[in-house]
Order: sequence, then C-alpha cells, then structure tokens
Amino acid sequence: MNPAFFKKVKRNDRIAKWIITVGGMAIIFSVVFILILIAKVSLPLFLAPDKDLRAEFQLEHKTAEDKILALGVDEYLETGYRLDQTGTFRFFNVHYGSPLDTLEVSSETGSRRLVTARTYGRLNHMLVWDDGSVTIEHVKFYPFFDEKNDNVRSIRHRIERLASFAAPDYGLPVETMARVSDDGRQVRIDLFRSGEFQVTIAEEEESLFGAGDRIEEMHQLELGAVGDVTAMTMSTDGLKLYAGTSTGEILRWDLSDIEAPLLKETTRAFTDQREITALNMVFGDISLIVGDEQGGVSTWFPVRDADFGWKLTRIHELQGHTQAVQDVSPSPHDKSVISFAADGIKISHMTSERFLVGFDHGAERIVDFAQSTRGNGVITLSDHGTVQSWKLDIPHPEISLKTLFGKVWYESYPEPTWAWQSSAGTDDYEPKLSLTPLIFGTLKGTFYAMLFALPLAIFGAIYTSQFARPKFKAIIKPAVEVMAAIPTVIIGFLAALWLAPLIERSLGSMFLSLILIPAALMLSILLWQGARKVTPLKQVERGYEFLVITPVIVMAVAIAAVLGPGLENWLFGGDLKQWLFNETGTRYDPRNCIIIAFAMGFAVIPIIFTIAEDSLSNVPQSIKAASLALGASRWQTVWRVILPSASPGIFAGTMIGFGRAVGETMIVLMATGNTAIMDLSIFNGMRPLSANIAVEIPEAPVDGSLYRTLFLTAVILFVMTFIVNTVAEIVRQRLRAKYGRF
Amino acid sequence: MATTTKNMNKYWRVGEPMVWLSGASLAITLLTAVILLAVIMMNGLGVFWPAELHRLELKDGSQVAGRLMKTEPTVDGNGLRRQYKIANRDMYGLDFRWIDENQIVRQAKPKQLLVLERIEHGDFYGELQSLVINGARHRGSLADLDEALTAVNKETDGLKELEDKLNDASYQMEQLRLKELKYRYKGLADSDSEMITLNQDKVSLDKEFRQLIDLQTRQTARAREDKAVFTDVSGTEKEIVLADIFQVYTPNNMSAGEKMVFYAAKLVELLVGEPRESNTEGGLFPAIFGTVMLIFVMSLFSFPLGVIAAIYLREYAKEGVVVRIVRIAVNNLAGIPSIVYGIFGLGFFIYGIGHSIDSFFFPERMPTPTFGTGGLLWASLTLALLTVPVVIVSTEEALGAIPREMREGSYALGSTKFQTLVRILLPMASPGIMTGLILAMARAAGEVAPLMITGVVKLAPALPIDGNFPFFHLDRKFMHLGFHIYDIGFQSPNVEAAKPMVFVTTLLLVLIVLIMSSVAIYLRNKMKKRYTFGTF
Repeated sequence: MNPAFFKKVKRNDRIAKWIITVGGMAIIFSVVFILILIAKVSLPLFLAPDKDLRAEFQLEHKTAEDKILALGVDEYLETGYRLDQTGTFRFFNVHYGSPLDTLEVSSETGSRRLVTARTYGRLNHMLVWDDGSVTIEHVKFYPFFDEKNDNVRSIRHRIERLASFAAPDYGLPVETMARVSDDGRQVRIDLFRSGEFQVTIAEEEESLFGAGDRIEEMHQLELGAVGDVTAMTMSTDGLKLYAGTSTGEILRWDLSDIEAPLLKETTRAFTDQREITALNMVFGDISLIVGDEQGGVSTWFPVRDADFGWKLTRIHELQGHTQAVQDVSPSPHDKSVISFAADGIKISHMTSERFLVGFDHGAERIVDFAQSTRGNGVITLSDHGTVQSWKLDIPHPEISLKTLFGKVWYESYPEPTWAWQSSAGTDDYEPKLSLTPLIFGTLKGTFYAMLFALPLAIFGAIYTSQFARPKFKAIIKPAVEVMAAIPTVIIGFLAALWLAPLIERSLGSMFLSLILIPAALMLSILLWQGARKVTPLKQVERGYEFLVITPVIVMAVAIAAVLGPGLENWLFGGDLKQWLFNETGTRYDPRNCIIIAFAMGFAVIPIIFTIAEDSLSNVPQSIKAASLALGASRWQTVWRVILPSASPGIFAGTMIGFGRAVGETMIVLMATGNTAIMDLSIFNGMRPLSANIAVEIPEAPVDGSLYRTLFLTAVILFVMTFIVNTVAEIVRQRLRAKYGRF
Repeated sequence: MATTTKNMNKYWRVGEPMVWLSGASLAITLLTAVILLAVIMMNGLGVFWPAELHRLELKDGSQVAGRLMKTEPTVDGNGLRRQYKIANRDMYGLDFRWIDENQIVRQAKPKQLLVLERIEHGDFYGELQSLVINGARHRGSLADLDEALTAVNKETDGLKELEDKLNDASYQMEQLRLKELKYRYKGLADSDSEMITLNQDKVSLDKEFRQLIDLQTRQTARAREDKAVFTDVSGTEKEIVLADIFQVYTPNNMSAGEKMVFYAAKLVELLVGEPRESNTEGGLFPAIFGTVMLIFVMSLFSFPLGVIAAIYLREYAKEGVVVRIVRIAVNNLAGIPSIVYGIFGLGFFIYGIGHSIDSFFFPERMPTPTFGTGGLLWASLTLALLTVPVVIVSTEEALGAIPREMREGSYALGSTKFQTLVRILLPMASPGIMTGLILAMARAAGEVAPLMITGVVKLAPALPIDGNFPFFHLDRKFMHLGFHIYDIGFQSPNVEAAKPMVFVTTLLLVLIVLIMSSVAIYLRNKMKKRYTFGTF
C-alpha cells in the first residue's frame, strides 16, 4: 500500500490522541477553574486593608502663631485646605503641597479671630469666633468644564455658609457646639465656666399658613450630680445631645421639643470613673462613639431594657490607644470610626469591630487629620507642619468572619443576632450579611425534604428491584427516570400555587392522612393474612403488592379529606392554624417546610431511587439464591443479605440526593417565603443559600461587598456539594471495583 | 386461636408486612408523580376550551355573567360557593368573583352572550348593541361585526407591516449611531469622507423614518375610528375600538365541532403567537424560540466537549489515579448546584470575557455593554458547562457497553486507534451519545436558575435571529419557557388571571421534557439490550 497513506493515517491518529487528551484534561481543569474563579471573586472580602502614602510635604507659609484649626480634602485627594485662626481657608495641592488660593470668612459681627473649629458630616465646619458667635461653613467641591479650553474638567471649590448663631447674652462659653438641620432648625449648646449648660433652639414655628415666624427658645440643662462635662456631641440634625463627664457618665438629651429639652438618662458608662475624653456620632446618627482617657474606643446606642426603658449600652469595643483618646470621628461614608490619640490615628469598622488601618508620623506627633468624603483617603498634619496624604483601599470593611457567621449586635437591635438584610434605600444603612441563617435555611429545607424522600425512595427501590415482577420493573424504572427530568421550576410552581393553598385549606386533613395512611396499611396487612390463604389471591404476593395497596392509600387520603374539616372543628375549634398560634405561638406560614418537604422530596426521590435501585439490582443473583436456599424468607434475604451488600450504593444515592437538595434553587425560591429566619418549625419558610443568590445577585453592584458575599455563598454551596459528591463517587468506585460495572 | 397467633407471629417474623410497606412506598412515589401530571393536565388542557357562559340572577337583583371556574364549600361549611370569571376588568376591577350558591335565583345560558378577546384589559363578556362605522352608528348583527372586524384586521395587518419597517429603520439608525460613535472614538473629524457619507446616510434615514412615523400615525388614527358598542350583563354600555378586539365568539352558540376547531386554532396561536397583556395571554412563540435557540447553541458546545472527554476517559486514558480523579471531577460537575453555574457564568463569561470583548472590540460604546451583559451566548455557554457531564456519562456508558472483541477485531485488521474509533466505536455508540445529548437538551429546557442571572428576560424586544446583518444576534437577551412560568406565575400583577397561562406553559414544557427524556431512555434501553449478549 501507499506509504503516504499510512503516514497520513498515523498522523491523524496522533493528532486525534492529542486533541482528545487535551479535551479530557480540560474537564478536570474546568472543575478546579470554576472553584478558583468564584473563590477569587470572593477572596478580596478577607484581604487586609491597604494604605498607600501618596505625598508628604511641609506646609508653606505656616507661622507658629496661626494655629491650624481644621483640615479638609476633596474626594479625589487632589485639593486640600486648612483653616487657621484668622478664618482663612488656605487651599493647597495635595500632591505637591503647593498653595492654590485662599478664601476668607468672618463672623456676622465682623470678628476675624477664631477660638476653635470643629468638623462634622461631609466637610461641614463649625467655627466659634472670639466674640462668642458661631457660624457653620460648608466647603463645596464641584466639577467645572472649561468651554473655552475643549471642556477640560477641573474641580473648583467655594465656601457656603449654612448657618450663623449670635453670641449668647450670658458671656463667653468655654465650649460650644452648634448644628443646623436640613429644614433650618438651629441648635446651639454652650458650656460656661460656671458649669451652666445652656441650649438655644431656633426653628420656624409651624403654622397652618405655610412658613410661620422664627422662634427661639433658650433653656438651662440640668446636669445633676455628675462630674464636669468633658466631651459632647450632637446628631447632625441637632435632635440628640450627648455629654460625657470627667467621672465616666454619659448624659443623653432629646432636643426635639423646642419647649422642653428632655434629659433621657444619665448612665455610668465606666465603673472605674475614667474620664470620657471624646464623643461623636457614627454615620447614621444612631450609635455614639466614646473615647476615654485610658485610650478605649467603644460604640454605644440605647437599647430597650425591661426595667429602665431605653438605656445606653456598650455595643462594640474597637481597638483602642495606649494614651487618652483626643478625638473620635465617624467616616462620612460608612460605619467606620476614626480615633485619634497621641500615639496616632486608627480606623476601625464598628459592625465588624475590625481594626482597618493606623497612621503615625514616627517621631513627629499628629495634631490634626481630615478624611475624604468617600472614605478613601486621609490627610494628616504633624506638629512639625508635615502633611501626609494617604490613599486608603478598604473595599469591604464591614466583612469579617464574625459578621459572616457569628452573632452581631446591629444598630437598633435589642440583642446580638444573626441577620441577613443586605440593603436598604439609605446610604447610612448598616448591612447585615450573616450567612448563618442562610446555611441554616439550606440545611433545614434539605433535612425536611430528605425526611420525606429517603424512606420512600429507598423502600421503593427495594421493592422495585427485589419484589416487583420484571415486567413492572421494566416500566417503573424508566418512569422514575423520566420523573427526574421534570423541571424543578414546574415542581416549584405547582408547590407554590397549587399545593400550598391546598394544604393551607386542609391542614387538618393532611395531618389526619399522616395517621390514616399507616393505619390503613397496617389494617390491610392484618386483613391480608386471612385473605392470602385463598389460592388465587396468593398470586398477588408475586410482585403485585404495590398495585393492590394503591387503592388502600387513595382511600385513606380520601377518608382523611372528608373527615379532616370535621375533626378540625371538633378538636381545634375549626381552625388548626389559629389553634397552633394560640397554643404554641407558631405562626403558620402558607409557604412553609411542609410544602418544601413534598416538593423538594419529589425532586430528589428519582435520583436516590435510581442509584439505589441500580446498586440493589447489581448484587449478584447467586447471593440471593444462596440465602433463599438456606431457608430465609424473601424479606430476610433482602434485609440481611442484599441490603448490606448494596448499602454503599444506597449511601452514594443518598449523598447525591442530598447534594441536589442543597443546591436546589427554583423550588425553594418559589415555594418558600424567602425570609431569613432561624426557626426549626415546620410551619415556617426559610431562605437557603441558593435562592438567596438568585434573589440578590441581579441587584448587587459588581465588586461590592454584597456581590462578593454572594460569590462566597456560591463557594460554600460548591464545597458542600463537592464533599458530598466526592464521598459518594469514591464509594461508588469502590463498589464498582467489587461488583463489576453498573 | 393459638395457631392463628402462631401464624401471625411467623408472618411478622419473616417480614412479609415489610414487603407490603415497601410496596406502599413505591405506590406513594408513583402516585405523587401521577398526581403531578394529572394536575398539570387538568388545569392546562381546559384553558382554551370555549366553556359556556352563565348568566346568573342573584337575590339582591343584580345580574352576573361569567364562566364557572370551580365550586367549593363555603368558609363556614354550610353550602357551596362558586368562582366565576366575570372578565370586564376595566369596568369591574376584578376578573374573578366568588358567589354563594344560595344567592343564585336563576341561571341561564343566553345564546347571544359574546366573549371578546381584547388586546388590552383581558376579556369582555356581554352583548353587541351597535356598530359605529365611519362615524355612523347603526344596529348590527354578529355577522356585521365579523365583517367590520375583517376589514379592520386588514388595516391592522398593513400597520404591522409598517411597524416592521419602522423597526428595521430604527435598527439601522442605531447601527449608524454606533458607527458614528466608533468614528468619533477613532478621532475622525466631521470633514472626513467617512463621516460625510455617514451624515448623508443619517439624514436620508431620518427622513424616511419620519415619513414612516407620519404614515403610521395617520393609519393608526384611521384604524381606530371604527368602534362597536357593547353592553355588559347589567346593561351598562361600553364602547370598544374594533382594532382593540382580537377575537369574538359566542361560546353558548357553538357546536361541539366548532368548539374543537376553535380549540385547535387557539393551540396554533399559542405556538406561533406573540404574548399579550404582560405575558398572561396570547402566544408563546418568543419563549419557545428562545428556548430552542438556547438548546441549539448549548448543544454546539456541550456535545463535542462531552463526547471528546468521554472518549478520552474510556479509550485513551490509562486506568489509574488520574482517571479516577477525572471521574470524580465529572460527577462533581454534575452535582454542582445550577445556581453556582449561574454565578460562575456571571462572573466569568459576562463580567470576565464579555467585558474584555467590549473593551477590545467596542470601546466606543462604553460604558453601555454589548457582550458585557447577560445574553443568549453566555446563557448557552453556562448551560453547556452544566450539561457536559450528562453527555460524558452517557457516551462513556455507550462506549463501555461495546464488547472488547469489536475493538480487537478492528486492531487485528490493522486499523489505528483513531480509525477504530471513528469507523467502529462511534457508530455503535451513537444511540448512547444521542441519549446523552437528548438528556442534556431536556435538562437545558427545564433549567431556570442559572439563566435568571445570565440573560433571560420576561419580554425580549427582538428575537435572537432576524433579517438584519449578521442575522444571529447572540448578544441579545432572550425569553425562555421555564422562566416564563416563574415570571408570570410569581411576578405578574394579577396572579389569578395569569394562572391559566402558567398552566398551559407548564403543560407545554412538561410535554417537551417528558417526550425528550422518554425518547432518550428508550434509546438507551434498546442499546443496552443490543449489547447485553456481549458483556457476559
């Protein structure tokens, strides 16, 4: 023959071998690849935050006497500014420190000398002038497009005055704090050297005819027998006032009533009477940040107590300092907290209690700092006039192993809890991303489904493989396999829109049939003893039993359906659901675990059935014959001989069924309420991992915390099913080696 | 007595009751499956049957016309109550009404009661009063109405053609806009020749478009001039534009044969018609088409991959640790929850590959994604990954079932491994491979969860195939039967009114899946029988 032909054939053979091998290996890699990819997406959740020193420079034109009272920086870390004692905002380039321009402000009375300034919110500065008046200035950065110069974009800035407060009549205060709310309500707090604590509130009088007159009220606040006030803070809307004392008390006022500011409570925060040195509110104005003289930083909010009403309670303990805390401030972007002491600046996240980053200037001491409004940068100023600008990369501060799996005390919750509530409309929402209720939901649904499916599938498989006539087996086996192909969306839809209302309507009948079906079976078995002696009926025992028993089951269900409502009337006053709620306090949820057990059980039965049946059928006939020959009955043979031999296969089937139930999405999505609760009750729904992904991923911003957390749940699902499937497969391979292929 | 007890003890000891109990387990399993199918059949098959309309007179003197849906005991347990579909949603606000049987004084089936299927607001039940043709109102019979409807239908057909033209024109305009974006991105100035031709095209297309719009406005106004006046059962008049009427029939006046014809026509409409009323009425064509396209594209990927992997496992790989690991990997692939595939598709295909394609080939369109969003291609690839194990397992089984003598015979005659594979093994294994493919297709037809996050939508504006270049638009979103069920069953504003459509869709999907998997299993069993002589 033609040698070229041989050459071609051999070359084809080699090429084919190469391609096929590569294709085969690709399959292994794809499994690993899937895991790696989804793990890679979720991994940044656990990466340590990163800080990057962008620039360091000496402030120019700084003289010793103009003390810097406040710092600020725009959200792109491009333009910074400092405020000195003359009321001058000096803007500078954050990259090089080169000065840009200056803007000057003065008080309403024309004073040009500042006593102090405090920053709150997003670049709001409260300026206290030496005549006792106060102004609130807001530095606004806004983009500007230069039309003359090809629309080049630059960031410009200006200063807006939000409010101004006249000086108090009483004299010059030692400490002053002022806030203005969005609707123009102004609140000013003054602490005088004499210990007088005074609040001045000005607001538009509410009247029927639109805007009324402006009224102003002044009140002395009673402190009671506590130490000196050493720190105070107000919510940004000026409705809540907190004061801390030198002996460790925290006082809380409600200023919402202009007529009567109300001292809500005086709480001894620290038993060792340590001084409270700094107070501030976490973004969202619910939690209070407390810094003390021993360097501790903690957050507090009022929790309802049975005896005392609302009581300030210490919720989170954040990483502290070695020296007294000088200042604490919230991130204007999330629930992070910045604390500042002689040993530097530390940023921690309240919910996760994670220490994120810290800064110090080495030998120099930090005297002031400012953070960008997006929380992505910080500039610091040292006592030597050195400015450092830090770029922060803290993508997921709220995620830690504790917030994902442990109990967390969320804002406004009465106690620590596991909760999943990924998002709300507002920016200052504290995301609750605990995976525990989801994992619980998955396991709960799977447990009830397996409870329903496992006995039916295994005993059904035993009957089909061992007792049924071969002609039935030839129909049943494919029928069950076809059952496995029914799309789960259909099962879920029927469960939710047909089964759930049906069971809700006839809950009594359902429970009655749970009693009646076994009873009817027992009764018919007893009766059969008599009947089996009749010769033609004896034939039934040759693999027709399941046909004979079917009408019995149907009858039992029918009787239960008829008797159910009557029984419910007689025993439970007509409404079993109401009775359940009154007696046990369980609320009946129409889409509950009973529905899930039926629906998911139905989806899982064919899988377990098929594998179990295969392994039972593959036990060599000789073993069965030997057992029967030794005088064992047919059930004894099955139970003592065949079942043990086939048990690895049945185990594998169970495992694979379990894996399927764990990952099932559509049924649970449709047939449960999808509420993430931790309740074992069969009358409640749940929210499993899989449905949670389907519900949340369309709304999750790419690369956000929620997005990555959902990928993490996918990893958990993957690992769960991976373990289960691998165990099952190893068991099956062993079995295969033992009994040949099946 | 003593012997009876003894017999009984023996009966229990040998475990005969357990046999019965296991029989009962099987019976329950099969019963649940039968019930499931029966429920779907019962609810799905009757939807299109033109059931009779009842006119009821109630004790309070009011009249109700409706179609009986179901009868059940009242809440307090005395007597029965009936659910009627009373339609006329725009007049009554509700489609359904429960009426206690003891409230009904009289019941009749008047022959002249009409059912109007409308484009909007669901059905209308009532009687014809008069026709308003060309502005003149005159009494009309049903025949006149039919005639008028035929005339209006001709006009609306013309309108549809116009709309198609408009769609094409707007597609071309969109293409031009994208082209302009591309030119601008490349930095072409207005004076460049490409830009000039583009602008000329744009102007002419714009002109054409405006003319079409004008024409459409005029024709629509013309088509909406003719109306008919109907009265509902209590005599309230209702004027309905003829163009809004989809179909008219008198169920009480139809013979069984006519009803059959009507039913068949409805089935055809279901298969080829467009959905109406936020998917709760009309046809399923886009969903069927989307499902078929999805399965087709998926098979293109999963079939070759699966077969090659199986051949590697069975024919090329040496039995050993590696093959064991591969088998475990394959079975794991089969066991991974479908939602995990979905999230993988989202992370890898859409945000990974799709995003790269966009930034490479369509940078001018950013940030609007082209491939960086869910679409048919990504959904198909995701499903392909999901169904590859099914193909692998079946192909492997088929190859394994071929007796060794066949291979040895082939080698003995001097053929190479590849020749043996292509000429002997694959043809013999083809039923098994087909089985795998069909099972994979059935799985893809029924899978919803991964599609939900990789590109399925409730209403796709355009099919993935159309007359515009490049004809196959794999980046488009698509509709799917399974998602259709989820969507109209759970997301539609009026679940009760949507139920019939959900059941019909369910029935269709169940039939497709059951037929496909039955064929697959039949093929497999047949193949098993063919080779059993060789295995032992």
